[in-house]
Amino acid sequence: MQDLLALIVMLPLAGFAALMFGRRFPRGLVAAVGVGSVGASAAIATIVAWGTSGTFTQPLWRWLSVGAFRVDISLHLDPLSLAFVMVVTWVGFLIHLYSARFMAEGEGYARFFAWMNLFVASMLILVLADNLLLLYLGWEGVGLCSYLLIGFWYKEQANARAAVKAFIVTRVGDAALAVALLLIWTSLGTLDIAAVGAKASAQWASGSGLAIAAALLLLGGAVGKSAQLPLQTWLPDAMAGPTPVSALIHAATMVTAGVYLIARMRAIFELAPIVMTLVAVIGAATLLLAGFSALTQRDIKRVLAYSTMSQVGTMFLALGVGAWSASVYHFVTHAFFKSLLFLAAGVVILRMREEHDMFRMGGLRKKLPLTFWTFLIGALALSALPPTAGFFSKDAILAEVWKRGGAGLWLAGLVGALITSLYTFRMVFLVFFGEAKEEPKQDAGWTMGIPLVILATSSVVAGFFRLPEGGRTEWLLMSASAAASLAGILIAWLIYVRRPEAGFRFGRTKLAAFWLSGWGFDVAYDTLFVRPLAGFARVNRGDFIDAFFRALAALALLDHRAFSGSVTGRVRWYVAGLACGAVVVVAVLVLL
Amino acid sequence: MVTIPMEHGLIFAGALFALGLAGVLLRRNLLFMLLSIEIMLNAAGVAFVVAGAKWQEADGQVMFFFILAIAAAEVSVGLAILLQMYHRFKTLDTDAVSRMRG
Repeated sequence: MQDLLALIVMLPLAGFAALMFGRRFPRGLVAAVGVGSVGASAAIATIVAWGTSGTFTQPLWRWLSVGAFRVDISLHLDPLSLAFVMVVTWVGFLIHLYSARFMAEGEGYARFFAWMNLFVASMLILVLADNLLLLYLGWEGVGLCSYLLIGFWYKEQANARAAVKAFIVTRVGDAALAVALLLIWTSLGTLDIAAVGAKASAQWASGSGLAIAAALLLLGGAVGKSAQLPLQTWLPDAMAGPTPVSALIHAATMVTAGVYLIARMRAIFELAPIVMTLVAVIGAATLLLAGFSALTQRDIKRVLAYSTMSQVGTMFLALGVGAWSASVYHFVTHAFFKSLLFLAAGVVILRMREEHDMFRMGGLRKKLPLTFWTFLIGALALSALPPTAGFFSKDAILAEVWKRGGAGLWLAGLVGALITSLYTFRMVFLVFFGEAKEEPKQDAGWTMGIPLVILATSSVVAGFFRLPEGGRTEWLLMSASAAASLAGILIAWLIYVRRPEAGFRFGRTKLAAFWLSGWGFDVAYDTLFVRPLAGFARVNRGDFIDAFFRALAALALLDHRAFSGSVTGRVRWYVAGLACGAVVVVAVLVLL
Repeated sequence: MVTIPMEHGLIFAGALFALGLAGVLLRRNLLFMLLSIEIMLNAAGVAFVVAGAKWQEADGQVMFFFILAIAAAEVSVGLAILLQMYHRFKTLDTDAVSRMRG
């Protein structure tokens, strides 16, 4: 059973390979290949999970062998990667199923599924990799697919720009990760993840310079991919991609790759307590910052994007205090309810004729009952209200933060919980309550409804797998976070249902504009990095490094002119030249 | 039997070669240029034969056979070019046919 592990990765990869030539395929076939490959992969993942206990390594073949540097293509399954594999395949399958209908109108159907399949394959390589280089392959693969899919509708320049921005900003983190790999290889002499952990614990003292440097560089990679401070600016713009892409890549899976990386390399992070604190602080800061930004967005997808940043911030907070399993647990539940919210939002957007602005929606509760109820369940889970899965996972994190991280970080988490439910229900009330402003289009079909129902069920049921422990502190903490969530919903109700004009008035303040722009990070980065670089490029249009090569070319051209003058077309001159040359050669030979 | 000294033979070959070269350089008619090249080849042949006679080796005469073969090949190609040239340009003046220049 375990030997089927490689198939989990190979199937989506084969789907990608088939769909690369799928431009002429009929749509039904494209959907069958695209959805079927991920579905089969999910089924096999379940079979493997059933038949596996403990860890399992499947070596496939040797990838590189240069001197002492040997890298294998080898898959490694343990509880951590199993959690990610199950989420990636099953949530991926549901999102693919949804996309089969969602993307049906418009061009590039085969292209979309090809890249989605490639993404799933890359993500699976990332989480199943047995060594860091293979992990890096998956890491770059998901980055590439993210770029391709954000810019899926590349004919609009804004989308292409968003794709480039996402690619460049995450590249900053990727570069840090690459340097981390080099550092680990040169100092430990291995890239095998298990060996790296063992050797690092044996050779590096806790808090030593190398450990801190390695942990910081790994954190840099994680921060870029997971859209945490200070590399978070690309995620809201990444919403330019199709909604299923946002659900799969920018909510459920890829943005949590950073969480996976830190959890996977925990041996190194545990040797660097300062960096662990930094992880927690980054998580808490991102959590609050993104939460406040989400409060002011008008675009429903941008609210969800900021919310994703905030939730991944919560996971980072958990990682930072050493609550490894709580963090991964939150990743699983978050994958369910956030992809549910995105998919439901996709239905709303589709039926409102590509309308993203929540203030132009309203009263959709009656018109889209299924979407409303599933969205509501997702919103409750995101707001961490009992008995949804989001409540249990967030509560587990907050309890651990209280125990190990201290009151300050816990308070940040609690305020984050309050803001989360506030912006979530602001969204619910604006979209589904109030007066109907526009009539929705006709129904979207069952293939889009089924994933919503399954994900909504999972968003509730997933919480029962890990019930919190009893105890007075636990109950107090639980009540505190539930109270915070309820308070957020109440405030949202007071503002956006009872007195909508108050919400409008706040939306026009300077503070709201500041939050809307994501705390001015875009402007700051634009003036600090983009503009100076663009200015330099403009000044250096001639490119001074090229001057040397241009001089070489000019010299060659000059020679060419000089010598081509000697080619006169007169045979007798050639003969004379030959004769003179022969005389010179003979003279040189004789005289020297 | 009176032997001819090698120097005489080589001077003769050199003179013949110079005559041939002068012919190639000064003549504009392709036919005469080909004839001059034949003379140069034969000058080289004479030099080989003279050297062969001097050291009593057959190699010099063997080389002359090679030169004959080369000359035959050269002439056949040369005459073919000559015919083509006359066919196309109605002239054998090489300076008139100088369009292939840099």
